[in-house]
This record gives sequence, C-alpha cells and structure tokens, in this order.
Amino acid sequence: MKAKYWIGLLIIAGAIGYMIWGGLGQSLVYFITPSEYYQDQAKYRGKRVRLGGIVKEGTIRYDPKTLELRFVLTDGVAEVPVFHKGTPPALFKDRQGVVVEGRFEGGTFHGDNLLVKHSETYQPPKEGYTPEEVRKLIKEAK
Amino acid sequence: MTPGLLGNVALVLGFVFTALGFVLAALAWWAKDARYVEAAKRAAVFSFLAALLAFFALEWALLTDDFSIVYTAKNHSTKSPTWVKFATLWAALEGSILLWATFQALYTLLAARRLRDYWMAPAVLGTLFAVQLFFFGVMLFVANPFTPVPNPPTEGPGPNPLLQNHWMMAVHPVLMYLGFVGISVPFAYAVAAMLARRYQSWVAETRWWTLIAFGFLTAAIFAGGWWSYEVLGWGGYWAWDPVENASFIPWLLLAAFLHTALVQARRGMFKTWNFAYVTLAFAATVFGTFLTRSGVIQSVHAFVEGAVGPVFLGFLLLVLFVGFGLLSRVASEVRDVGGLNLLSREGLLLGGSLVFATMAFVVVLGTLFPLFVEAVTGDKVSVGAPFFDSVFAPLGAALLFLMGAGPVLPWGKVDGYAARAFSAMLSAFALATALALLLGATFGVAIGVGLFAYNLVAVLAQAGRGVAAWRKKGRGALSAFFAYLTRAREQAGAQMVHFGVALAALAIVFSQAYRVDVQKTLEIGERAVLGGVELALLRLDARDEGFRYAVVAEVEVEGVGRMYPRLHYYPTMNSPLAAPSVHYGLYNDDYLILQAFDTEAGRWATLRLVRTPLVLWLWIAGGIILFGVLYIVVPGVSLARRRRAEVAA
Repeated sequence: MKAKYWIGLLIIAGAIGYMIWGGLGQSLVYFITPSEYYQDQAKYRGKRVRLGGIVKEGTIRYDPKTLELRFVLTDGVAEVPVFHKGTPPALFKDRQGVVVEGRFEGGTFHGDNLLVKHSETYQPPKEGYTPEEVRKLIKEAK
Repeated sequence: MTPGLLGNVALVLGFVFTALGFVLAALAWWAKDARYVEAAKRAAVFSFLAALLAFFALEWALLTDDFSIVYTAKNHSTKSPTWVKFATLWAALEGSILLWATFQALYTLLAARRLRDYWMAPAVLGTLFAVQLFFFGVMLFVANPFTPVPNPPTEGPGPNPLLQNHWMMAVHPVLMYLGFVGISVPFAYAVAAMLARRYQSWVAETRWWTLIAFGFLTAAIFAGGWWSYEVLGWGGYWAWDPVENASFIPWLLLAAFLHTALVQARRGMFKTWNFAYVTLAFAATVFGTFLTRSGVIQSVHAFVEGAVGPVFLGFLLLVLFVGFGLLSRVASEVRDVGGLNLLSREGLLLGGSLVFATMAFVVVLGTLFPLFVEAVTGDKVSVGAPFFDSVFAPLGAALLFLMGAGPVLPWGKVDGYAARAFSAMLSAFALATALALLLGATFGVAIGVGLFAYNLVAVLAQAGRGVAAWRKKGRGALSAFFAYLTRAREQAGAQMVHFGVALAALAIVFSQAYRVDVQKTLEIGERAVLGGVELALLRLDARDEGFRYAVVAEVEVEGVGRMYPRLHYYPTMNSPLAAPSVHYGLYNDDYLILQAFDTEAGRWATLRLVRTPLVLWLWIAGGIILFGVLYIVVPGVSLARRRRAEVAA
C-alpha cells in the first residue's frame, strides 16, 4: 500500500486509541470501603465510586412518600452517612451488606444506585465482623 | 432402566463414537482414502444419536421428577410448570453443556452431509470431532449431569427464578447455543483450508454456515435484549454486562468476517484476515463460555460452579494456539491477488470489518480491564456502561457511514453512478441532521437521524438502480422490482440487513437520549402525574400461583388503560422479582414497575414509570435483520439440494 494510506491509518488508529484510553480513564469506577475513603479522600473527591459496607443497625430512615432514604454505612472501622433517592431493594435491612454507587458531596455520600446481594447462599454478617469479612461481603454483593 | 443409567450409557457412547470419528478422519487425512471419510460420516450419525439419547435421558428425568441424578437434585422442582421443567435442561451448567454437545453433534452431522470435497472433508470432520470430543469429555469427566445421588431428595429448589419469569428464557439460550456452536463449522473449514493449503475456495463454501451462525446469534442477542427488557425490571435492554458482552464479541467478529469473506470470494483479497477473523470468532465463543462458567467475572448470567473454568481456559488456549499456529505457518504462502484501492467497494468492506474488529477489541478490553487493574494495582474497579457508550457512539457512526457507502461503490473503483448516489446520501444526511437540530435534538441524536436518512437513501438508490436495470430489459415496474428482489438475493438480503441495522441504530439513539424514569408512592385510589403521564393506583392484590406468590397492582394509565405490574415471590429466593407491565407504542413504550408496597395494611404502593421512545422499533429492526439473513440463507438449502440431485443424476 502507498505511504499516504499508512499515514491515514496511523492517524485513525491513534485517534481510536486515544478515545479508548481516555474513555477508560474517565469511566473507571473505584470500589472502596468507608475506611479506604478516609485514607485517601483526595483520590476519590468528586469521582464516581462504588462504596461497599454494612448497613449500621438502627440507622435506616426511609420515607415512602418522598422516597428519601438515609442510613449509615460502616465497614467496622469507619462510617459514612448515605443519602439515596428511590425505593430501597427488598432485601435492604439492618446489617445487610450493600454497595452504593454515587459521589461524595460534603460529608454525605449521595448514591443513585443501591445494590444488595440477593442470593440464597448469602449469610448476614455476625457480631464483631472483621474488615476481611467485610471485604468478602462486598465481593459477594458486587 | 433409569434416566441416570441411560444418560451415562449415552454419554459414553457419544464419547466413543466421537473419538472413533476423529480417528477415522485422521486416517482419511493420512491415507488419502475416501472410504475412511464415509466411515467418519457414519460416526457423525451415531455420535449425534448418542447425544440425542443423553438429551432425552435428561428430559426424561426432569419431566418425571426423578431426583436420583445430581442435575435434577440441584436444579429441578416438582412445582415448576411443564415448560419450565423442559427448559430446566439448559438452566444450569451441566445441562447447558449437554445441550451444547447435542448441537455440536447436530452441526457435525449436517456439515458431514454437505461435505462433497474429499480434499477438505477429513480435516473439516477431524476439527469438528475434536471440538465435539472436548464437550463430551467435559461432561464425562468434569461436569456430568447424570452422576447418581446417594440419597435422592423428593423435592429440589428449581431453576433460577429469573429464568422462570418469562417464556423467552426457553428460547434465548437455545438460539445462543445454536449460534455459538454454528461458528465451529466455518472454523473447521478454515483449519482444513490451512492444513490442505487451499486458501481460496473455503470462504465461499462456508458463507452459508457463517450466515446460519450469524442469524442465530443475531436472534439470540435481540431475544436476550427483549428478555432483559421484559424481566429484569429496569426498563433497559442492554447493560454491557460481561456475559452480554461475551455474546456480542463473536457476533462482531462474524460480522467482520462476513464482509471480508465477500471480498475474498469476489476479488481473492484479504485471505489472511479471513483466517484470523474466523479463528477469533470461534475462540470468542469459548472465551464467552469461560467467562460465564468460571466465576472469574460476576454477572447476572454467571453460574456459580468454578470447576470447568480452567478446562475451558485450556481449550481456549488450544484453539488460539492451533488457529494462529497454522496461520503463522501459512502466512508466508498466502498471496492476495491485485492491489487495494481504498475508495472502492472492497476498500470500504475492509474499513467496515476493521470497525467491527475494533468494536470487538473494545468490548474485550472493557470486560477484562477490571481484572488487569486488580492484578496490577490491587484496586477494585468496574468499567461501566459510560465507557462502552462513549466509545461505541463514534465507532457506530463510522460503521453506519461505511455501511451506506460500501454497496453503492463498484468493485475496484469509483464510477459516476456511485458519485451521484453518494452526493444524494450526503445531502440527505445534512438535511436530516439540520432539521433534527432545528427541532431541538441534541447533537448526538441529530447525527443519528442524519445517518438514518443517509442509509435510507443508500438503500433506495440501490433498489432504484436494480429496478432501472431490469426495466431496461423490457420489464414493467412491478416485475422489475420483483426481479431485483429475487435475482440477486444476496444483494437484496444484505440491503434488508443494512436497513435493519440503520433502524436499530436510530431506535437505540432515541431510546438512550430521551428516556424518562420517575417513581412515586401512591395511596390506593390516588391519582398523580408521573413524567407527564397521569395514572391512578386502583388496587393491590395478592395471589398464590402454586410455584410462586404474586402481588399485583392495578393501575389506570392515561391513554393506555389498565396495567398490571407485579412482584413475584419465589420460595428459593429471599427477595421478590419485579415483573414489569409494558405497553408497547409506536412512539413511546410505557413501562410500569411495582417497586414496593405497604406490607402491613396494603394501603400504598411505590410505582416506577419508564417511558422510552422508539424501543418497539428496535425489536422490529431485529426482525428485519433476521429476515434479511434468512432471505439469503434459505435458497442456499434448495440450491444445495438441487446440486446434490444433479450430482446424483
């Protein structure tokens, strides 16, 4: 083939490569726990993340009229208050492992997608769970 | 005789006949003796009968509630409706491999019957038997559905409730396996062509097989999208879920192959590309199965069992090793005929196939990228729909552009007709884009509308030229149109497929851009406006449906009438499944989901309304694409029959 074709092809390939690489960088969503967030807040500021942990007992406030859901997410070490607008999933309850996708705004995490693990093999966490166990729960809840 | 015993006997027979077939094919290859080919063809018949016997044994166990084998004990329930019992065969790992092996044996049998070329036959049959041997081997040694259970239970959990929620689940996996397995035939021909060093003729011989596999995959992907839309209760049809991606990758690579194969058949070019595309398409089916069955990637489709993961990974590496090993050996011998002029039909066909291949690469990259990141940095990340959407928008636009221009151009050059048609297409593009922008469409939607108009003009220009050519030969308008449709079926069918793809793209653009998704809690008897639609919650009802428990909301929707979104409670699931109520419309679909309800007094319910434009047209476009593929494929059957009759005579 002629040289001008190769140059044209290289330019197109470069543009596609740039597009893919840029797209990956922008839409990569980190999957973290509350304590990981507090360890490196700057890294996650303003970025979309998936925050995983356990629903802290007795913190669920849900109003079906306004569809506003508030609760505290914990990983046994650190806690984050979460705000979510929409119906909580049927399995959503105290001490349930959940993953919330959204952004930190001020001190509160604003979620727009709330997931719980719904498998019959799922076991709710026992008292005094360790961060490793939380990791496992989050992995299952993915 | 019990189903378990019959099944095991059938599996052993299938394995033995397949191994025998492979040995006979190898003998035919080394001894160059056609009698071995005939014997191998007979082995194909017996291995198919054995696979069919195993299939019936498992259906026998399922339909008679026999829990003495591991597959029914783990996946079957006496309470399932009969169609669910029947479809349970492919609802879990071992059974789906049995279905795969049965289809593989069927394709081997059909390929054997169509094989006339004794140069190719030994290697084609040998490759198909090798693939088939792998699946029988997996069943016998790794995932045997007929393993006896020491203390049979009297009741089981039943298949995954998501699979029971819609009749489509009985159809979608079957189509998907027919498509996946179908790719093994072109792959076997490619291997045979490379072994026999006959690099030209195989593409024409496999075109029919490739279209069969492509048609089944297309149907499966659209059926899967429709299932997702009707069952998963999120109002969407495609989520870039890893396993959706796994079905999309072979489709893209087959599409790439179909386009360059056309050039090889006509102009003798792109031979190396075609070997590579077919090898990758077949490898992609194994890769997809590996993703689904290994638990490497979490997904709604993933089966839990991990034991077969390494086996499929090994098979994938073997396929790639054999395919590319052969390709590198023969690459030095493969010579393309003539130079390439990019501004010609073959130039744009290559361009289109490259866009398809790039798309396949992007899907593989996006699906596996989280694994790379976790391996390198330890961070857990996910690559979501925004990545795929942002990359597929420009690639899709490029594809639609090439799709319109390619068929208009003649082989090898540009002519006056092509220049005139192309300027008409560009004018249509500019006009439609400008009009859409004036009407307030976003930039992306306007480009989508423009490209639809561009492709519509391209299809019409093609038809116009075809009709004009027949009228010159003295036909009337109607008769000329009929001749255009029937005399060059492949071209007419391809134009139908292209129109379907353009329509699907338009539907995707609109449904992504103008989707309304709102939810609200209503008291019984309350009226409210949701997303511009007035609706009233009339009542809530609970029903015991035997195998499940249903809560049904009756909702009056303005301009639609009564809708009945449901929540289904299955005994094996600790959370309910939403069964949305969908009202299909020419402009908008109204999609109503019962999100939650007052479990204490039944006084209120939370409803979610998703209003999406033009989704109906996506399913229509799928039907048009499929019809176009069938339009090309079906005469292939009768042609082959005629040819056989001529040979016999």
